[in-house]
Amino acid sequence: MEEVPVKIFTTSHVGIARQYFFLSLAAVLLGSVLSLYMRFHLTYPQKGEITPELYLSWLTLHGTVMVFFVLTLAPSGAFGNLVLPGQLGAKEMAFPVLNAWSFWVTLLSFLVLVASFLATGGGPLSGWTAYPPLSVVGAIAGPGEGLGQTLWFVSIAIFCVAQLLGAINFIVTVTDLRAPGMTLLRMPLTCWSWFVTAVLSLLSFAVLLPAGILILMDRLVGTSFFVPGGLLVGDMVIQHEGGSPLLWQHLFWFFGHPEVYIAILPGMGLVSHLLATFARRPVPGYRAMVWSTVAIAVLGMVVWGHHMFTSGLNPYSVMAFSVLTMVIGVPSTVKTLNWIGTVWGAKLRLNAPMLYCLGFVSIFVTGGLSGLVLGQAQLDTYFHDTYFVVAHFHLIMGVAALFGIFAATHYWFPLLFGRMMNDTLGKWHFYLTFVGAYAMFLPMHFAGFAGNPRRYADFTTFTFLGQVLTLQKGITHAAFFTGAVQLLFLYNLFHSISRGVKAKQNPWESTSIEWAGEPAVAEIFRGPYELGLYGERDYRMQNEGGEE
Amino acid sequence: MPTAASDELLTGSGGPPPIDPELPFGGGGPDGEGNNPPGWQRRTSLTGIVVLMCVSVMTFGSFLSAMVIRRGLGATNWGHTPMPVLLYWNTVSLLLSSVFLDTARRILRKGKRQEFTWLWGAGTFCGMAFVAGQFVAWYQLAHQGVYATTNPSAAFFYVLTWAHAAHVVGTAIPIVMVMVWALQFRLTPKRRTTVDAAAMFWHFLDVMWIGILLLYRYWA
Ligand code: HEM
Ligand SMILES: [Cu+2]
Repeated sequence: MEEVPVKIFTTSHVGIARQYFFLSLAAVLLGSVLSLYMRFHLTYPQKGEITPELYLSWLTLHGTVMVFFVLTLAPSGAFGNLVLPGQLGAKEMAFPVLNAWSFWVTLLSFLVLVASFLATGGGPLSGWTAYPPLSVVGAIAGPGEGLGQTLWFVSIAIFCVAQLLGAINFIVTVTDLRAPGMTLLRMPLTCWSWFVTAVLSLLSFAVLLPAGILILMDRLVGTSFFVPGGLLVGDMVIQHEGGSPLLWQHLFWFFGHPEVYIAILPGMGLVSHLLATFARRPVPGYRAMVWSTVAIAVLGMVVWGHHMFTSGLNPYSVMAFSVLTMVIGVPSTVKTLNWIGTVWGAKLRLNAPMLYCLGFVSIFVTGGLSGLVLGQAQLDTYFHDTYFVVAHFHLIMGVAALFGIFAATHYWFPLLFGRMMNDTLGKWHFYLTFVGAYAMFLPMHFAGFAGNPRRYADFTTFTFLGQVLTLQKGITHAAFFTGAVQLLFLYNLFHSISRGVKAKQNPWESTSIEWAGEPAVAEIFRGPYELGLYGERDYRMQNEGGEE
Repeated sequence: MPTAASDELLTGSGGPPPIDPELPFGGGGPDGEGNNPPGWQRRTSLTGIVVLMCVSVMTFGSFLSAMVIRRGLGATNWGHTPMPVLLYWNTVSLLLSSVFLDTARRILRKGKRQEFTWLWGAGTFCGMAFVAGQFVAWYQLAHQGVYATTNPSAAFFYVLTWAHAAHVVGTAIPIVMVMVWALQFRLTPKRRTTVDAAAMFWHFLDVMWIGILLLYRYWA
């Protein structure tokens, strides 16, 4: 494979992909260490001098880092940049310089986030959702709610800018830079997901940015967009009047729900692509896959209210949000059946990336089912803010999206570093992580049944939580086990970067043309999934000419 | 590359999507050599500007929806923002600058470079006048005791006008750059794209501004 030189201020899409990759790797390490700290404290609350505020600041940083800097950056920023131009038959992204800017602005946002954690007074306490009024009124709401929380909002606003720049780049690359013959309906499903993800990013980060500006004005200028009048915090009357905390929830979740699809859609595209590649079969119902992606995105824009069922919404809108939420189950099922159809009875090449994809499907189904429970307002009234929700989103967003990232790392490693990762190690890592993930997050549902609230620093002080302590302890053990297993991946990663087997051209016998190598593709003659052909070679790359 | 002569598709599980030459999007991107085709930068830049407009529409749309919700809370403290007369003069100057910039852009296509420089300069000047006028208007409002903290109406007024002014200043950067290039006779064909893109976005900011103005004149 081609060597791409390492440069700091690079405008090459591969270089930028590497930068995003390592940034999200740093972020995922930080986020994981924090989660282990939290698990340890939950199990052994008497050990160490951990105040509830300190715990909450870990929780906030963990959630923010994971959602924004891992699940948003890695799937699109890293792998989208790496692969999208190649799969479309373009040499570069549409705006290479802008692309570099997106990365450096993202890095700035990351640094500000880390600074918020180290600020005097401590890190912010409001979680990744930063609900007002406590996130607005300042240090009176807790030590980290002063400077720390301000920096947190600044970081998120900067992040929005970076994402918007990135989204523009992705969208224009897809609309304008496809090779001749690469019609929209000949794009691999990965490209479709990156495209739809970029549209979602555009629509949602363009809402979070103004929301962030308004809340910063509340904090810094003294306006009252989000703080109600007559509010008492710490025995003090807050000098704001007439604002609405619910307004923030609307704006935030209008961003927040599309955001969860920003995290998962690239993984879905990847899974469709890889299942076909390793089952050596075309994707059954390519168009259905395209349309279900679009349907998920469209529906995903109108269901944000399901995060607010218990906030006192008008019951009619609760009903509407609830119904729309359940409807998302339909395109999700189309996808799931499609994946099962792809692999059903096929002779699978069960290598590590394929295993991660199969794992993705399993976890996606498990996590999606609890979504359907939460989508019913009556049930959610009980489950809201319990560990049931934590279990739901860690499975479907955390683990499923991470499996997508693992699969992508193994699969596109040759494009990133010119070598292959070790497959045996990858398989071990997969199986152990798979077991660990279920061991962590299945029991969490039961904690939710028992009414165990989320975002509590210590369960031992509540009698009604006596029954979940053992369960929670087991979860902690599973978490440390799974954490340890990740060392396998890290070892495999760094070992393979320098020592891995040199990759050959198109190592996975894929049809898509990111593997065609230089000089890049001339023209596209074929659909994306011409696999499972008779003859001495069972596939055709999209740029291969000849008769149909 | 091996030929595809002897193969047949394994169908039964769908087969590849059919290839429809009638599709409106042809994928006319890079040329056969893997290089991007001539004019690709112009094409991507203009598409990019349109996408950027979508971002701005979304941003202003969220401010607007926040306003609707905030006002709909039945709060008695919504207030009222008196509009300085100067704002209407600013509007005139913004629209004039758009007319100048666009005429300049058209005239450049005919190769009349000197006229272009004058017209573009006039447009730039009117744009600057708009920004300066906005500053004076904010000052006048503050002088009347209307601050962002006074009431929600005023708060949103400042938010919207600041956001709009930030857009204007941002767009002024390429506009001034074009001016400098024109004065140095360095307006190469490649840079014509900047001319068109900047003018396009500038018109868009006119529309934004008139929207804000009408909103405050008749509703907020
Ligand atoms: C059929 C599909 C899904 C349904 C019906 C569904 C439903 C829900 C509902 C109702 C909640 C709110 C629970 C509460 O706070 O009381 C929720 C929370 C959440 N969901 Fe889903 N969901 C689905 C799929 C997904 C997917 C695909 C992702 C991410 C990839 C996701 C990520 C999340 C996250 C992150 C939260 C929690 C946010 C927070 O409060 O911190 N969900 N889901
Ligand atoms: Cu949601």
